Amino acid sequence: MSHYFRRKKFCRFTAAGVDEIDYKDIATLKGYISESGKIIPSRNTGTKARYQRQLGRAIKLARYIALLPYSDQHG
Amino acid sequence: MRHYEIVFLVHPDQSEQVSAMIERYRNMIEGAQGQIHRLEDWGRRQLAYPINKIHKAHYVLMNIECGQESLDELENAFRFNDAVIRSLVLKRDEAITAASPLARDAREDEESESTNEKNSQNEKPVPAEKVEATDGVGEGTVKTEPPMEEGKPSDQPVPEEA
Repeated sequence: MSHYFRRKKFCRFTAAGVDEIDYKDIATLKGYISESGKIIPSRNTGTKARYQRQLGRAIKLARYIALLPYSDQHG
Repeated sequence: MRHYEIVFLVHPDQSEQVSAMIERYRNMIEGAQGQIHRLEDWGRRQLAYPINKIHKAHYVLMNIECGQESLDELENAFRFNDAVIRSLVLKRDEAITAASPLARDAREDEESESTNEKNSQNEKPVPAEKVEATDGVGEGTVKTEPPMEEGKPSDQPVPEEA
């Protein structure tokens, strides 16, 4: 298990110095939901906790105004 | 006076009325010494899921500065207008005037929206070309990382190292 080479994860928002994650930026948010529409945990993506909280908020707002799906079997 | 960000969705059959509605809301806000800092018409967009068996809606984004009374009036107008199928009001700290990410592509996906949206859905959050930028980012968390799923970031649990 631990002998595999594994690419190091990093937080894209920290790297880019994002001030606040925008719920309208669905191109970015789409990278952080699974095919079924679930929010991907930060342990998989490497997102820092501060940004993961913003991300969750942004995704939930985007879902409310139907920019993102709640699930893949139509909300 | 506070800053608010408002998004509302209009029934696609009432799409022609949007400009009249915006004009009405503008009078409402500016009549009470408010201001509209940003006004974006995203046009008719495909909804991510059907609302009341509707699959498309006309989106409008407004960043305004107004008092409580005109906000109440505005929310009432949304509530009792059957053409508005959904609305979102957020409190903001300052006036935002930069164009939103959706305003830029609102023009081209007026009628061909579903094709390019499907394509960008499977994007992975960690692209390969940004690997060299990681050195300065993760401070102390180098050694004990849970394994990273390469192919698809789906929901199966990640096995921890023993």
